[in-house]
Amino acid sequence: MLKRFATLREPGIRGHEAAAGWLFLMPVIVILGLFLVLPITMAAWVSFSDWNGNGSPLGANAHFVGLDNYRHLLTEPGLDQNNFGTALRNNVYYVLLVVPIQTAVALFLAVLVNRRVKLVGFFRTAFYFPSVTSSVAITVLFLFLFSPTGAINKLLSYFGATGPSWLYDPRGLFHVILGQFGVDQSSGSLANGFFLGVSYWDWLSGPSIAMCVFIVMAVFTTSGTFMLLFLAALQSIDDSVNEAAALDGASEWRKFRHITVPMIRPTIFTILTLGLIGTWQIFDQIYVGTKGSPSNTTLTPAFLSFNASFNGNNWGVGAAIAFILFAIIVFFTILTRLATRNPDRVPRRRRFGPTQALGDPNASRVASASPGGAP
Amino acid sequence: MSNSRARSDARAVRRRRVGSAMTYSFLLALAVVYIFPFVIAVVTSFKTEPDSTANPLSLTPHPATTSAFHQLYEDQDFPSWVKNSLIVTLSVTFLRVFLDSLAGYALARLRFRGRGAAFATIVAVMAVPGVVLLIPKFLIIREFGMYDTYYGMIVPLLVDAAGVFIMKNFFESIPVSVEESARIDGASIFRIYWSIVLPMARPALVTIFILSFQGSWNELAHFIISAQSTGLDTLTKGVAQLASGQLGSGNRYPLKLAASTLMTIPVAVLFFVFQRRIMNVTAGAVKE
Amino acid sequence: MNAHRKPRIARSRAALVLAMVAALALTAGTALGSRQSGTATTTLTALIGSSGPAETFAVNNAAKAFTKQTGIEVNVVVASDLGQQLAQGFASGNPPDIFYLGNDQVATYAKAGSLAPLDSLKNVKAFYPSLRAAYTYKGRLYAAPKDFSTLALVINTASWQRAKLTAKDYPKTWAQLASVAKKLTRSGQVGLCTGAEFHRLGVFMIQSGGWLVSKNGQTATVNSKANVAAFNFVKSMIKAGSFKLTNQLGVGWGGEGFGKQMCAMTIEGNWISGAMTHDYPTVKYRVVELPTGPAGKGTLQYDGGWGMAAASKNKTEAMSLITYMTSPKVQMGNAKAFGVMPSVKANAKAWSKLYPQFAAFLAGAEYSRSIPTVPDIATVLGDFNQQLQGLPQSNNPKTILDRINSELQSILNK
Repeated sequence: MLKRFATLREPGIRGHEAAAGWLFLMPVIVILGLFLVLPITMAAWVSFSDWNGNGSPLGANAHFVGLDNYRHLLTEPGLDQNNFGTALRNNVYYVLLVVPIQTAVALFLAVLVNRRVKLVGFFRTAFYFPSVTSSVAITVLFLFLFSPTGAINKLLSYFGATGPSWLYDPRGLFHVILGQFGVDQSSGSLANGFFLGVSYWDWLSGPSIAMCVFIVMAVFTTSGTFMLLFLAALQSIDDSVNEAAALDGASEWRKFRHITVPMIRPTIFTILTLGLIGTWQIFDQIYVGTKGSPSNTTLTPAFLSFNASFNGNNWGVGAAIAFILFAIIVFFTILTRLATRNPDRVPRRRRFGPTQALGDPNASRVASASPGGAP
Repeated sequence: MSNSRARSDARAVRRRRVGSAMTYSFLLALAVVYIFPFVIAVVTSFKTEPDSTANPLSLTPHPATTSAFHQLYEDQDFPSWVKNSLIVTLSVTFLRVFLDSLAGYALARLRFRGRGAAFATIVAVMAVPGVVLLIPKFLIIREFGMYDTYYGMIVPLLVDAAGVFIMKNFFESIPVSVEESARIDGASIFRIYWSIVLPMARPALVTIFILSFQGSWNELAHFIISAQSTGLDTLTKGVAQLASGQLGSGNRYPLKLAASTLMTIPVAVLFFVFQRRIMNVTAGAVKE
Repeated sequence: MNAHRKPRIARSRAALVLAMVAALALTAGTALGSRQSGTATTTLTALIGSSGPAETFAVNNAAKAFTKQTGIEVNVVVASDLGQQLAQGFASGNPPDIFYLGNDQVATYAKAGSLAPLDSLKNVKAFYPSLRAAYTYKGRLYAAPKDFSTLALVINTASWQRAKLTAKDYPKTWAQLASVAKKLTRSGQVGLCTGAEFHRLGVFMIQSGGWLVSKNGQTATVNSKANVAAFNFVKSMIKAGSFKLTNQLGVGWGGEGFGKQMCAMTIEGNWISGAMTHDYPTVKYRVVELPTGPAGKGTLQYDGGWGMAAASKNKTEAMSLITYMTSPKVQMGNAKAFGVMPSVKANAKAWSKLYPQFAAFLAGAEYSRSIPTVPDIATVLGDFNQQLQGLPQSNNPKTILDRINSELQSILNK
C-alpha cells in the first residue's frame, strides 16, 4: 500500500513527512522517555544505593552500596529475606491457582455463551461486568462478603457448615488438609531446612485461607475479560468444521477436546501469558484489603516493594524487589513465548480437513481492533 | 435406512433439548453467582450498620436508610474525590485519545527514518509491568517537582503504548486511496490526519476512549505514589482509605459499599451505553 | 479550487486542538493554583493521625487558638495512613512542618536526618523524663511528648456480676486472670480478648520479666525464657478457650470486641473510653490494673509526640506551635476531649480529678515501658504483629520469638 502511495509523492515531500512523523510521535516519545525510561534508570541506581528517603537520591544522601540490597533479599538471613521469601511463596501459590482456574472458567463460560441460546447477550454482560469495575470497589465488596460474620459464612451456615474467618485466617490450605491426616510441622524434618528465610515446611503451606479469598476474587474479576477473548476465537472457527464433526457423530466432549481446543490453542497461550503477567502484579487488592496480614500470608512482592519504600523507608530494598519482580515477569513471558512456538505438538486430525486455522484465529480481529469493523 | 436415519435424528433432537436445558441451568446458576454480589452491595448500602452485620444476605433493608450516602457527603470528602477523579480521568482520556492517534497515524502512514525503531521501542515499553514502575515513577515525579500536583497525577498517564498500537493497526486497515486525492490537492499532513482519517477512525477512537476512561477512573496505585494531600484524593484512593478504617470506627459496611456503588456508576453507565462495542474492544485490545 | 483554503482550515483545527489541550492544562492548573495560592502570612502544615472526630476537632480548635494568638496560619491535615504519608512527605522533599510521631518511628527518621532536633524547645523541662527518653536518639530530643497512654484491664461490669464475681475478684496474678476469664466465658462471649500484636500481648513479656532488648540495649532478648513463658501462658489461655485474639473474633481491635460484648475483658489503652462513649454507650465497664506476673507488674506505654521536619522552612514558627500544642492548657483540653494522659507533670493532679475512673491507666505509668529507640524497629515489630496473628494456630510460640529475635538482633547490629 505504502509503495503505491510513495510513487504519487513529489520529491521533497519526504523531508516534510519525516518532520511531521517525528512531530506526531514527539509527545508519546517524550512522555514515555520521561516517565518510563528515565525512572527505570533512576530506580536502578536507587536499588544499588542506601538512600533513605531524605533529600534527593541523586544528592549527597545516597551512597553506592553495590549489591547489598539484593544480598539482603536473596542470600543474607534477616527480616528482608524473610519477608521477600514469604511474599514470593504467597505469590507463587496465587499464580499457580489463579492462572489455570481463570483460564478454565473463562473457556467454560465462552463455550456456554457461544451457543445460540436466548438471552445470550444478557449472560455475556453478566459475566463480563465484574471486569469493568475497579479493583478497589471489588475488594471492598469482597471484604464484606468474606467477613467472619459476612454473607459467605451466613450462606455456609444454611448448609450446616461453619466458615473460617477468611481474611483473618493465616493457615495454609495444604497445611490444613495435611493436618486432617495428622501430618504437622513437628512430624517432619522439613521445618529445619530453609530457602529464602522460609522453612521447607512453610513453602509447602499452600495459599493461606486469606489468600484464597483473593484467588476467588481474581477469578471472579478476570474470567469475564478472558471469556471474551475465547469467544472471539471460538466464533472464528468455521462452522463447517463443527458440522463435519457432527456428521461424524463425534460427542460434544470429543469435539471440544479434539477440534476446538487445538484450534484455539494460540488464544489459550495468550491468555496464560496475560494471566501470568497479571497475577505477578497483584497490588491494589492487597493494599485495600489486608496490607499483607494475617501473618504476612497475603504479602506479595509488589506490595512488599511499595511497603519497604513508603513505610519502611528502605528505598534501596524496595527498588531491588521491583527489579527482581520485573525479572520474574520477563522470565515467565519468555517461557510462555517459547512454549507457543512449538506448534508441532498440536495433534492434527486430518479427518476434519485442513487445520490451517492453527495460526491465531483471533489475529485478523485483533489487527483491526475495530469495535464496529472497518468502515 | 431412512427409518433408522429418522430415529437417529429424533435422538439427536432429544439430546439437543436436554443439552440446552443443561446449558440454561448452568448459565442461570453462574449468572446468579456473578450478579448477586453487586445486588448485595447495592442493598447493603441502604441498610443500617447493625442490620448489615446481622443479616448480610437479606435483600430487604430493615429499616431502609440513606444515611450511608448522607455520611459520604457530610463526614467524608466524597464530593472532592469525585471532582478529582473527574479532572484526572477526563484530562487523561481526551489527551490520550489525541496523542495515541497522532502517534498511531505517524507509525502507520508516514515514512521516515527511525520509524521501525520508534515502533519497536513502544512495543518494548508495553512489556514493562506497571507495578514495577511505582517506585521509579515516584522518584521521577518528585525530581520534576510535580509531586502532589494534578500534573504529576495526569502527565505520566497520558500515553499508553497499547493505545498507540491499536491506533496504528486501525489506520493500517483503512485503504490509502481515500487520502490520495487529498494529497494530490496538496493538503498538509496534519489536515489529512485531522479532517480525513480521524473521522473515519471513530470506532478505534471510541475504543481508546473507553479503555482510557475505565483505566484512569479505576487507577489506584499511580495516585498513591503521585500525591499525598487529602485535597488530591481520587475516588479510588478515598474509598481505599475508607476500607482500611481507623480504630473504633466500626465496620461501616453500608458506608463503604455505598461509596463503592457510587464509584462504579460512571463505568457501569459507560459499559451499558457501549456494551456491544466494549465486548469487541476487549477481545481486540487486551491482546497485543 | 482555492489551494490556500484547506491549510487554513487545518490550521484553525490545529488551533482548536491546542486550545483544547491548553484548556485541559488550565483546568488542572487552576485547580492546582488554588491549592498553592500563597498568602502573605506564614502557613504551617500539621499532619496528624486522628483517633476520631473528637481528636480532630480538638486539634483544630487548638490550632485556631494559636492562629488567633500569633497570626500564624495552621493547616491541620488528618492522615489516613500516617506512616506512609510521612514517608512520602520526607521523600518528596516537602514534608509537613510538624506531625504526630510515634516513638517507634523516631529513631528511623532521626537516623535518616529527616527530623529537626527539639532540645531547644522552651518547655522542654516540663515533660516527664521517661517520655523525653522515649524520644531521645543518640542524645538528642526529636519530638515533643504530647501525651501518653498505658494499657490496663477493661472489664464489662454486667458480665462480671453475671458470673457472680465481686470487687475482690479483680485478678492480681496470672492464675487469677486465667480463672476469672474461664468463669466469664459463656456462649457468645469469651472471657478475654485483645489484639494479636506485640503492642498488646507485650505486657505479658514485661510481667514475666522479659523485654525486647537487654539492659544495655545491645542484644535482642525476644526469645528469652521469660518471654517464652509469657507466650506459653497466653497460648494456654487461648487453648482453654477463655482468651481469643481479635482476628479470631473477626473484629478490628479489642475495643470493638469488647463494645460488641464478644468478650467480657480486654487489654486496651485510654483511647477505649472515647469509643465506648460514642459507639457503645450502653456497655458499662471498669478499668483495673493489669495482673502481676512472675516478675511483677508491667504494662506498655504509648507515647504521642510532635516531631518537626528538618526540611521545614518555618522552623521558628513551627517550634512555637509545638510549644503551644504541648502546653498544659491545650493538653488538658485534649485530655477532656479524648481521654489521653498529658505529657507534662503539671497536669497529673488535674487529670486524676477529671478521670478518677481511669486511675489504673495513670498508675501504670509507674511501671510501664516504651519501645526502645532503634532505627527500623517499627518494621521488626510489624513482622512481630504479623507473626502473632498466627499464634492461635501455632504449635510452638518460641518459633515466632526466635524469628523476631534474629530480626531484631540484625537491626541492632547495624
